[in-house]
This record gives sequence, structure tokens and C-alpha cells, in this order.
Amino acid sequence: MEIAVGIILGCCALGAGICMGIGAIGPGIGEGNAVSKACEAIGRQPESKGDVTSTMIMGCAIAETTGIYSLVIAILLIFVAPSTFVGLLKSLL
Amino acid sequence: MLKADKTVIKETKYIAVCILILSALMQAVFLILSRWDYRVLLGNLLTGSAMIINFFFMGLAVQKAVMLDEKDARKTMQNSQTLRMLFVTVVVIIGVTVPYFSVISVIIPLFFPRIGIMFRPLWKDKEKPGQEV
Repeated sequence: MEIAVGIILGCCALGAGICMGIGAIGPGIGEGNAVSKACEAIGRQPESKGDVTSTMIMGCAIAETTGIYSLVIAILLIFVAPSTFVGLLKSLL
Repeated sequence: MLKADKTVIKETKYIAVCILILSALMQAVFLILSRWDYRVLLGNLLTGSAMIINFFFMGLAVQKAVMLDEKDARKTMQNSQTLRMLFVTVVVIIGVTVPYFSVISVIIPLFFPRIGIMFRPLWKDKEKPGQEV
């Protein structure tokens, strides 16, 4: 029983770590690329700086949502899933 | 200290209004379902304000990044994203672990900026051409 609980806790922690690690890499790279392209665009057309900045802010917020989804999943895996799975295991045994 | 651009302030105001409206809606739903207590309000205040601050700092980072060259802009955004994600993570962990906050009301406002941006085209259509900053 203790081994099973340990495996459940370990898997939940591992899953949360992988989820957060991979989930946070994507938005970071995406935002970086988007802003570098925005710099290019502003360099070509300096008069469109306001429009580009406005679109960039919204675009970055959308890109960041993916990271927030992974954060929510990681939080659920750490704080909610272990007790649920251990309860399920106890009810099965 | 970087001074906030008009565009950043305008977009942050839009997101803040969206978060306020959606928070009021969420509180109303909790009231209707008879699940409302002070913890729901506190959780909503905690995450809602954190998301507004997060958005404002993202706007500042974008404002700073567009003035730099490509390589530095990329680094600036990546650093800013890491720090802001850390900030949101700390806020959410506090909200989930401290018993004065309701877990559901801490997690739901994390999605409010995305919902606000989803309705953004409806708002933008009403603006006159050339009205933007």
C-alpha cells in the first residue's frame, strides 16, 4: 500500500514538473520570436509603432495562456490529484 | 524606471475592465449557486489583481523590447516571461494553500484575460479608423 501511494505521489510530482517545464518553454520562445519580428516591422515602418505594439501585447497575452493552462494542470496534479488517486486506491483495496 | 506608453495603459485598462466584469459575473454565479462566502471574493481579488499586474508588466516588457534590436528583444521577452510566470505561480500556490482563499475562485480568474482578448475584435470594430494610438 505504501509503495503504491509513493508511486502515485511520485508520478503526480513528475507529471507536474514535466507539464510546467514543457508548458513554459513554448510561450517563452513564441513571445521572443514574435517580438523580434515586431522589431523588424517597426524598423521598416516606424510610423506603425503604436499599432504593432498594441497587436504585440495582445499576441503575447494569447501566447502566455498556454503557460497558464500548464500551470493550472501542474497545480491540480500537485494539490488535487494525489488525494483523489490515493482515495480511489483505498476504496479499491 | 520605464514610463508606460499610452498603448500599454490603454490595453491594460481594457483587460482590467474585462477582468472586473467577468469577476462580477463569477461572483453572481457563486451567489446564485449558494456557494458564495468571503473566501470566493478574496480568491477572486488575489488572482484578478495578479493577472492585471502580470498584463501590465507584459505590456512594459513589449514596450521596452520593441525599442531594442532583435536579439536583445528576444532575450528581454524571455526573461520577462520567466519572471512573470514565476510571479503567477507563487500567487496561485498561495491561493491554493492558504485556507482563506477558495481554490476554484483562485483558478478561474487566470483565464479572464484570454476571454477578454477573445471579445477584443467586437470592441475594436466599434473604434473609428485612425482612433488608435
